[in-house]
Amino acid sequence: MNLRRLPFTREISLGVLVYLYVPVVVLIVYSFNANRTATVWTEASLDWYRKILTNPSIRNATWNSLVLATAAGIGSTLLALAAALGMRTRFRGAGLVEAVLNAPLILPEIVVAVATLMLFVAIGIDMGLIAMIPAHIAFCIPFAYLPIKARLEGMGPSLEEAAQDLYANRFVTFRRVTLPLLWPGIMAGFTLAFVTSLDDFLTSFFLSGPGSTTLPVYIFSAIRAGITPEINAISTIMLIVSVALVVTSFLLGKMRR
Amino acid sequence: MKWNGFLTASILAFTVAGAAWSEEEKVLYFYNWTDYYPPELLVKFETETGIKVIQDGYDSNETLIAKLQAGGAAYDVIVPTDYVIAGMISDGLLQPINASEMSNFQFVKPEFQDPEFDPGRVYTAPYTWGVTGIAYDSAQVTDGKLDDSWGVFFEPPTELEGKIAALDIGSEVIQAAALYLGLPQCTESNEDAAKIYALLEAQKPKLKMYSADSTVDRMASGEVAMHHLWSGATARAHEIKDTVRFIYPREGTPMFRDNFAMPVGAPHPENAKIFIDWMMAPENAAAVTNGIAYANSIESAEFLDDKWKDAESVNMPPEFADRLVPTDVCSPAAQELRDKIWTRLKG
Repeated sequence: MNLRRLPFTREISLGVLVYLYVPVVVLIVYSFNANRTATVWTEASLDWYRKILTNPSIRNATWNSLVLATAAGIGSTLLALAAALGMRTRFRGAGLVEAVLNAPLILPEIVVAVATLMLFVAIGIDMGLIAMIPAHIAFCIPFAYLPIKARLEGMGPSLEEAAQDLYANRFVTFRRVTLPLLWPGIMAGFTLAFVTSLDDFLTSFFLSGPGSTTLPVYIFSAIRAGITPEINAISTIMLIVSVALVVTSFLLGKMRR
Repeated sequence: MKWNGFLTASILAFTVAGAAWSEEEKVLYFYNWTDYYPPELLVKFETETGIKVIQDGYDSNETLIAKLQAGGAAYDVIVPTDYVIAGMISDGLLQPINASEMSNFQFVKPEFQDPEFDPGRVYTAPYTWGVTGIAYDSAQVTDGKLDDSWGVFFEPPTELEGKIAALDIGSEVIQAAALYLGLPQCTESNEDAAKIYALLEAQKPKLKMYSADSTVDRMASGEVAMHHLWSGATARAHEIKDTVRFIYPREGTPMFRDNFAMPVGAPHPENAKIFIDWMMAPENAAAVTNGIAYANSIESAEFLDDKWKDAESVNMPPEFADRLVPTDVCSPAAQELRDKIWTRLKG
């Protein structure tokens, strides 16, 4: 039974894609709607985009989200790179280390978020970005680790061994051979970590302090008053940023062929 | 030890530094409901007092209390609703601000000066207030008018069946049902609970949905003809669609009062008191009403925009004042009964 030859595969796939992406398209289209009601289209306007620029809450939330995602992305990618390189040799307890690294993928996020909050309060760390960054780095590590590890395994040891045969020491080998080959994996890992941190809600909610509200927390807390099209507008902008990031990392990967 | 120049200089330096540290930085951490404060007013406060305000948002009293009890996040001014304040005071979450002694307290309307949840206004100052009533689109109703009673919501006219939304908040729906049936709000009796459940169950098939989100859009777009709704949301819907009207049911209209308070551990208590006092000035209170469409508790009628003066959802006709009913705080047994009713109703 060939999966490709099943009847209506193309139609079903198209249907699923439409079901997944039409809400996003509607969101973008209604960010240009002059009327604030989400179900009535009046005319096209850029009013809501102008309103975002003058809304201090949305500006602060977006800035916090971006700063946090960048810091978490860089931090977790560096740690994941070190982890992937270190895990190449099979040492005793490697399985356990692997399990701990990938723990955030399995542990329920709310449990980890509350536990982190209790820990930080007990050791006297104030809530805010200073607390949120380490917490985000921690749960972004597996997202950065898996692409790097996959790339590393695909690479194989032969090129590094060849470099070392030609008198390159470990640092030169890393810099001139391993790193350039690994680069697409690192960029993919960074992108995944960045996006995971960007749309995280639970950890950001529990660890937020004065002035450190992130965009998902802001959108959630706006539910009571009603979601205005300003949120459509900021979501469209964030979508464009994320897509641009993914496209850049993809192109970077292609360049390194 | 020898008294030398270096020692004198360092002692002087520490004294000066100490004096500088004892003055609060010009910052205020304001934790409020999202979209519940006009941003222009914050700018006005910053210009007049030089204190920079950093505002964060929450979506419910439960979130606010959870954040305060978890610790670690220190805010200066918070905005709790009346029914949680007595509990917060007894749990030691609030510190006294003595609002009744502030200079602008004279402008507070008499009915808000001495509330039962905070006698003498020791811990709180009044902010906005509103009611939960019934909003309806007069264009979708014959005669354009409905009776002033919870009856039109619980036992609606046939033409409106299937076009009604109720709030998806158990305490609000059960409270309204208790008022309609003439039962105590926080009843601990099983027979009363059974009567309430029967009423709600009979109403359920006539409702289009239970929802507390995007209520303004739902009313303004005509998606429903009647909505169990707060006065402020109705006012915002009325702004978009002027056939939207509001009912203050005569059996009892639940009233909520939002207040400013200062939590224990606030990093800038003096700035918090300055802000709370400033908010009781008539033109500032009116600016809030003009911006977010909820009535305020200050004598500020002369500063209100004209459009709010004849919207009954914001400017309540005085003859309805005796219909207003404060929300009771339920005992754990009553709360459990309410939870049972709601769980059985929602399936």
